[in-house]
Amino acid sequence: MKKQSAIIFTSVALLALLVAPHFLKSYGVYLLTYWLVFILAAMGLNLTVGYAGQKSLGHAAFFGIGAYTVAIMMKAGFSFWLGLPAAAAICFVTGILVGFPALRVQTIYLAFATLGFNTAAWLVMRNEEQYTGGTFGINNIARPELFGLSLDGALAYYYFTLGVTIVFGLLLFGLLRSPWGKAFTALRDNPIRAESLGVDVRNYTLLSFAIGAVYAGVAGALFASLVQFIDPAPFGVGQSIMMYLMVVIGGPGYFFGPVVGAAVGVVLPEWLRFAQDWYLFVFGSAVVLLMIWLPDGLLSIPDRIRARRESREASAARAAAVTAAAANAGKGSGA
Amino acid sequence: MKKLILALALGALVITPAVAQQTIKIANIVELSGPGTTSGTNFKDGVMLAIKEINAAGGILGKQIESTTNDTQSNPGVAKGLTQKAIDQEVFAVFGPVFSGSIMVSMAETRRAEVPNFTGGEAASITQQGNPYVFRTSFTQATAMPKIARYITDQAKVKTLALIYVNNDFGKGGREMLMKALDKSPTKIVADISTDSGQVDFSAAVLKAKQSNADALFVYTNEEESARALRELRKQGWTKPVIGETVLTSQKVIELAGDAANGAVAHVGLTIDAPLPAIRAFRAKFEKEYKYICDHNGLKGYSGVYALKAAIEKVGKLDRKAVAKAMHTLKVKAADQPGILMDVEFDANGDLDRDSFLTEVKNGKQVITATLPPLGKKK
Repeated sequence: MKKQSAIIFTSVALLALLVAPHFLKSYGVYLLTYWLVFILAAMGLNLTVGYAGQKSLGHAAFFGIGAYTVAIMMKAGFSFWLGLPAAAAICFVTGILVGFPALRVQTIYLAFATLGFNTAAWLVMRNEEQYTGGTFGINNIARPELFGLSLDGALAYYYFTLGVTIVFGLLLFGLLRSPWGKAFTALRDNPIRAESLGVDVRNYTLLSFAIGAVYAGVAGALFASLVQFIDPAPFGVGQSIMMYLMVVIGGPGYFFGPVVGAAVGVVLPEWLRFAQDWYLFVFGSAVVLLMIWLPDGLLSIPDRIRARRESREASAARAAAVTAAAANAGKGSGA
Repeated sequence: MKKLILALALGALVITPAVAQQTIKIANIVELSGPGTTSGTNFKDGVMLAIKEINAAGGILGKQIESTTNDTQSNPGVAKGLTQKAIDQEVFAVFGPVFSGSIMVSMAETRRAEVPNFTGGEAASITQQGNPYVFRTSFTQATAMPKIARYITDQAKVKTLALIYVNNDFGKGGREMLMKALDKSPTKIVADISTDSGQVDFSAAVLKAKQSNADALFVYTNEEESARALRELRKQGWTKPVIGETVLTSQKVIELAGDAANGAVAHVGLTIDAPLPAIRAFRAKFEKEYKYICDHNGLKGYSGVYALKAAIEKVGKLDRKAVAKAMHTLKVKAADQPGILMDVEFDANGDLDRDSFLTEVKNGKQVITATLPPLGKKK
């Protein structure tokens, strides 16, 4: 039953995503594409944070590395289709390197180690002007072609991004159902037990970073081509925190958490613009309230409802048992 | 998620206005949060003040101006999206963003839609892309730096110059332009000293400048850093000339640096401190309306709207293409269009030029020592 409803929900959502842009003007399409890019990035972070339990605050650095790799390669005359795998590969290797501190430190200390990495990466983007353009950034980044089809138009690029997001979503889904996925969650829930069961904690920790980084890198590549301009600003620590927020708001460890979380992070502020000067304030307050009410994220709502129902049923059963016992006892004494 | 998409679609529908050519629609796309907040807010308030005045006086060609304001969060990606939104709403012109990085992205959208776009960005590259729809509201570093370079070489007779600049797009852009302007002159830059935005301690930078034994020092940083540099120069006993561009002799720096600002020389374009009656009056009006002293970005927004007004009136109808074309050789005299504040001339790239001043700080006050004609005129 649960599986069926999930399938129905997913297909309806997909249909909505396919049809929606036709009812929107270019701004709406742009925003939806922006959202998809951040879904992809947050999916990677969800793997690192939500499934493997590694508190990483350096995700925007991978996002930036992906964006800059593609931008620099395209400016040097290489195709986007060469830049994309290069971005993924570079992010994979950097992800492994950044994973090493995670073998030593955990929780908030790991968060700070990754935050330091993000700042360092940001400084490289800003200061290595001959490669990255420094604070002037890189402008006029072209959009790719696919089988001779130009993806220059807003709609074409939207469908392209949607396709990439779905493919990477399916890959992640497969990964999480495989023994690897189980190993990741084991790592999060109880690393000592995981190790005693033969899970190679070191390799899986590094892999959780590396695979998460690949998702961010691919998202960054799509981002560079979407905005067609990059400068270091969107890849700072603030963005890392924003991505972390997307994962936490959506529900860490829920497969569709990033979809909801990225919507909150990207679409909600736009949608709140009617509040004028106050819109970011309203957004901040909404996030605070959400965190108080739903510390496990928006997708924990069904679980909470189920848990509540179960506890109600259990207490009803208990109450029934007590009355039955009392009645029995009454009967017993009466006899 | 579905709900959100629906809400988004609905929101887009609701926002789309039905008003046609009854009003002139202008979109402010500015930095109201993030690092650009001060610039964006000033620019927007300047625009709004001009719109209010123009509407009170009967509008442009008898039509009232209607404006919307959106925050880019100082993020180029958001700025691009908002520009598309403004174009979806069929605005007549776009004002902003102020940050160079943002306008570089968003102007591609206004160009595609053929919508005139006024920016506060000062990076030279903005108008070097051959975009016929982008217009400055201020000098660029490409105009200001040759003027000050001419002063350094010809009047101050500086042979060797030390340079302290701030490492952001503002500082780097200015440094590049100054170097280019001094390239073929007898003045040589002997020390090239980078400082960080928000830097507190300037002792090392000043020491390096001293050790270079240069004839003069050029300081190109933002307000607070300039004041700190001036204080440190005084502390280390620097007695040679200190030269700057706009910021160095601004009111804010004089306030912060106190006595140490005395003797500093700077080239000043259209700033709020310029000693012209029109600008004094504007400053008072602005302060009354918004309860703070506006900076040069407020002036940019304000005069930008009047430049648009002059162009529309010249064309005589609401035609974006014709207005953009008219902007390119537009000459506006302050006598005809008081809101422009100073006579101004736009060139074929969308850059503007006008008189500017050489100022010096004397006894804690900015004093004009010379008026420099527009660059083009002198040749």
